[in-house]
Amino acid sequence: MRSGVAEQQRVSQAGPAIEVRGLTRSFGPLVALYPLDLDVPSGSTLAVLGPNGAGKSTLLRLIAGLARPSAGTIRLGATQHEGAPDDRLARRRRIGLIGHATFLYPALTARENLILAGRLWSVDDPEARAATLLDEQDLLAAADRPIGGFSRGMAQRVAIARALVHDPAILLLDEPFTGLDPTAADRLTVQLKAARDGGRTSLLVTHDLSRAAALADRTLILKHGVARPIAPEALSSRDNLDAAYREAIASPAPS
Amino acid sequence: MSILWTLLWKDLLTEWRSRDRLVAMLVFALLVVVVLYFAAPPGQAGTAREHVPGLLWVAYIFAIVLGLSRSFGMELENEALSGLALAPVDRGLIFLGKAGANLVLVLIMQAVAAVAFALAFDVNLGPVALPLAGVAFLGAVGLCSLGTLFSAMAVRTTNREMILPLLMLPLMVPVLLGAVQATRGLIAEGELPFSALQLLLVTDGVFLIVSFLGFEYVLDE
Amino acid sequence: MNDQGMTASSTTSRAHTITALLLIVCVAIWAFLAWNAPIDRVQGVIQKILYVHVPMAIGTYLGFICTALGGALYLWKGEERWDRFALSSAEIGVLFAVMMLISGPIWGKGTWGKWWSWDLRLTLTLLLFFVYVAYLLLRSFTEGSERAARFAAVYGIAGLALIPLNYFAIKLAAGRSIHPENLGGDSLGTGMGWPFFMGMVAMVAVFAFLLVRRLEVGSLRAEQTRRLALANREGMT
Repeated sequence: MRSGVAEQQRVSQAGPAIEVRGLTRSFGPLVALYPLDLDVPSGSTLAVLGPNGAGKSTLLRLIAGLARPSAGTIRLGATQHEGAPDDRLARRRRIGLIGHATFLYPALTARENLILAGRLWSVDDPEARAATLLDEQDLLAAADRPIGGFSRGMAQRVAIARALVHDPAILLLDEPFTGLDPTAADRLTVQLKAARDGGRTSLLVTHDLSRAAALADRTLILKHGVARPIAPEALSSRDNLDAAYREAIASPAPS
Repeated sequence: MSILWTLLWKDLLTEWRSRDRLVAMLVFALLVVVVLYFAAPPGQAGTAREHVPGLLWVAYIFAIVLGLSRSFGMELENEALSGLALAPVDRGLIFLGKAGANLVLVLIMQAVAAVAFALAFDVNLGPVALPLAGVAFLGAVGLCSLGTLFSAMAVRTTNREMILPLLMLPLMVPVLLGAVQATRGLIAEGELPFSALQLLLVTDGVFLIVSFLGFEYVLDE
Repeated sequence: MNDQGMTASSTTSRAHTITALLLIVCVAIWAFLAWNAPIDRVQGVIQKILYVHVPMAIGTYLGFICTALGGALYLWKGEERWDRFALSSAEIGVLFAVMMLISGPIWGKGTWGKWWSWDLRLTLTLLLFFVYVAYLLLRSFTEGSERAARFAAVYGIAGLALIPLNYFAIKLAAGRSIHPENLGGDSLGTGMGWPFFMGMVAMVAVFAFLLVRRLEVGSLRAEQTRRLALANREGMT
């Protein structure tokens, strides 16, 4: 019952940036993810689609190393998930995660949160890096106010900056457009496109099919923790993706 | 090392902005002093000298349990703890940062409560202030290390305020006994009993190692 | 997890009948020997409580050692069955501890004239009992089997590892112990050795029997969980 990912044209050179084999996660009687094989080539963007509770966030948290797999392996470039502690630290340096939650301390200001992240990731000049990121996210005016008073959208922008603080090779995005106003969402889209063209590998979990069609060069559809096949040409436009997505979700689970 | 300072800075800055945990711990410790005063009024000669060490540490441990139960509270909002777990930082450092920040708060609480005790029970702690501070510090190290480990567990359970004292108290006995004996020696005879000091030092060492190793398994989801 | 499943249920149930019968025989011999043992010259008939109390203590400590051992193996290997082993041992250990803590004071009241003494061994065992009650509560307060198992393993190991510290601490504070020393050859009167010995054998056997049954319940539950998950998956297509 293992199924892969739809391959598509604009794809790449080197070996996979993320290589997942037989990855499973179960939690009591609930199985969040059934054995999954997945290859994400370096420099590509994978859209992970699926209804609520499909196991999309679980997949991201597993790859990020926040949750432990019940079985299976995850290989990131050269580093493998289960290994010496040094490998795990190396793996964390390669990954940036924008999660459901913002991971920010409400009592600290936007700038302090970013400086904290910069220091934890041993960025060269955390203060300067924080200033650059705040500028990129158009947050300089609010930089020195505590996160606790921020709206969801503003906090989300800080969370995006936080995930980018160490310029990660692999970016994991769990519905990054949540709460963003149209301007900010467009800005993020532009940034993600630039990052992709710059060789960054991304996993994008979203319900926004038009942004998925615009950004991704391959798709993975999950339903109830099982990957569904999807035609490779589906990504050519939003409408095609929409139709293919509906078809994939309606089809019976592969066995 | 700079990572450790960063983590400490983050915790202490957060605490300084709200100050609610420190204030709650302080007020609670002082309230325990008041309650204990009526439970064991220093009437007859000798009563205070006999009971103050034990009462002092009872106040300390209750205040510490109260304070530590919120120690990971700020980490749960916005899942900041997950953000911390994502960082390429050794889990041992995360433990030390958290335990260190807790230690700072506990030391402040201890100093204030000790003064309150000296006034309320009319004991002159002045001459032994320095060695007493040392004993308080050693006791606090043991209590904060194991307490930080357990509060990291408790915060992920459904009844976190209820489970922490149950987890902590049965294992805190060696620190408590060592600290009470040492404090009693200081107040009654003016000198530190070596056996108690030895017990405190050994206990601190073991507690630190156990919590440091155990934290690795507690932080992950 | 290599559960045996329920394929061989008829042979296992026969095995249960046989072991249960053996246990009954064991316990009967123990009871017979204890009944007929000579009455202690100093303590009188109340001394016979010790034929129950001491084996219970053995069972208690066995349970807690197995809990820490199972927890350590779980953290090391990550196999769920070691967690079931730890949990089962803790439950049985607490059961034995309760019986020990009931039988002890009855004997103490008759012999020392008081129900409880803050003696080294009593205090230590009481604390250990609290540690494992907290262990069971921690489990029931933690949602998600995997996290509950991990937290409990850490706590169970810490609980046992810190007992030597408690020992020194209480020794320092409480001083002299009035609890009878460990069973040496001389501390028992003639004719008291065999009932003690048989009591140990019977209680270790009871412990093993309960543990095996509890493990079976645990693995059946795990199996049920697995099937439920499978059914969930099939039901959703």
